[in-house]
Amino acid sequence: MNDRDDEKLQELLRNAVGPIADTELKQDLWPRMLGKLDEQTMRASWLDWVLIALLPLWFFFFPEVIPVLLYHL
Amino acid sequence: MSKHPYLRAYLAGIAVPTMLMLVVIIVFVVVRFVFNVPIAIERLLVFPMAVVPNLWGVWNMFYVRLESRRLPLGIHGAALVLLLAPVGFTLARALEIGVVTPGLALTVAPVGLIAYYLLWKHIVGFLNQLLGVG
Repeated sequence: MNDRDDEKLQELLRNAVGPIADTELKQDLWPRMLGKLDEQTMRASWLDWVLIALLPLWFFFFPEVIPVLLYHL
Repeated sequence: MSKHPYLRAYLAGIAVPTMLMLVVIIVFVVVRFVFNVPIAIERLLVFPMAVVPNLWGVWNMFYVRLESRRLPLGIHGAALVLLLAPVGFTLARALEIGVVTPGLALTVAPVGLIAYYLLWKHIVGFLNQLLGVG
């Protein structure tokens, strides 16, 4: 393939795809992404905190459950 | 974000066990090769590596499918234990994995339900919101 073929191929590709107008972003999307992440804060109820506290206690008194739990995760 | 909700639900579902798999593999590898506990690690890892993540993904797709009839996500996730535990114990028995015994089932069940409830409510719920499903 020589240079002339390359140019012809480029021209064919340009004609087939066509110009893409207005490729610039209208605004910065990062602040919106940060806003969306901020909306989703974790809200744990008192019951959740009780359950979270129960887990290490359970592991302390019944350490044999740890491998079985890991097997199911 | 309205396209392919089931694919996004599947991805949100498999994310948590896929991340936890790293911990699971490290623990079992250390137990097997550092402490020389005689466990068949290649058979042991089949269930957490192949079955669990896929079932989490499918279970989250099922949650999205239920729409108005769905339970809270934490309860829905905890219910997965009722499906996963019998499958896990059956597979463990078939593959002759000594670590997982039926005798432990009653001791593990409450902690499994709690762990699944918390993981589904907080982490899968967060991912579902982030990906615009559920």
